[in-house]
Amino acid sequence: MQVTEAFKHAFLKQMLLGFQASAVSTKSMGFQERKNAIKLSADVAMAVARGSRKWTRGLIAGLSEERQNRSFLRLILGEQYESLLKPCHSSWKIPRCKKIVRRSLRVCWRKQKKNQSGVLARTLVEKRTQELKRLVPGGESMDGSSLLDETLDYVLSLRAQVDLMQSLLTTFEASKLSRSGWRLKGRGKAKAYTVVAWEEHVLWRKYMRRR
Amino acid sequence: MPVEMSSRRSSRITDEEISELISKLQSLLPESRRRSMSRASAAKLLKETCSYIKSLHREVGDLSDRLSDLMSTMDSGSPQAEIIRSILRS
Repeated sequence: MQVTEAFKHAFLKQMLLGFQASAVSTKSMGFQERKNAIKLSADVAMAVARGSRKWTRGLIAGLSEERQNRSFLRLILGEQYESLLKPCHSSWKIPRCKKIVRRSLRVCWRKQKKNQSGVLARTLVEKRTQELKRLVPGGESMDGSSLLDETLDYVLSLRAQVDLMQSLLTTFEASKLSRSGWRLKGRGKAKAYTVVAWEEHVLWRKYMRRR
Repeated sequence: MPVEMSSRRSSRITDEEISELISKLQSLLPESRRRSMSRASAAKLLKETCSYIKSLHREVGDLSDRLSDLMSTMDSGSPQAEIIRSILRS
């Protein structure tokens, strides 16, 4: 998976739309409520920007399980919501390298099992695989090779999510500092705000183009 | 990163294929986590992957906290609001 400019743009736009939809800048909102709304927006944005994958469907389905999220999801995703919730049918045609990967995993598991004579206790590999299945959205219903594939994709998307949220945070914090800087210099508030906002906007666009 | 596999007649899995699988999983992890694993077993790799995913989840939670702090003091006239509007227009 490549973290493209298109992905970054889609993620940011989708996340900010989510912020607007849940009105996170409302002063009366409690901290926990606001934080949850932000995290929800970020997760939906990540799934939407990535597109249709087993893990993105698993993520949306998992979020839908909580009643309070459903109206937000319906609002943000529109028609996509229903189609994203449909169970996916994995293709019966498995590419060769996936077959080999699955066999490799099975051999690893079998090698471990040989050391345990007839005991039903789980091997360490099986245990860890179960844990991974719980961590990757939709993982519970995945087979060995899908799990590997989806894990790779999910981790790369998570990394992108972290990077993008960090860069948004940095831009906001920088704009806040420069704003108070203007105030200290005693310039007209309205004009100062416009200048600062425009500078930040330019910096932001430059930053996005560079990454 | 697609893996090119040559055609095989025998069904035996070679050590080479297993180490290819292991290196693929290993490449997921950042440099700092990889260093301590010289001969990684599948179980160790799976454990590292799980703990890496959990740490990424924690980071997202922490960033949500910090964004929440910032958004709480944001009004429609603030630079942050303007940044948001300009991204949404693009």
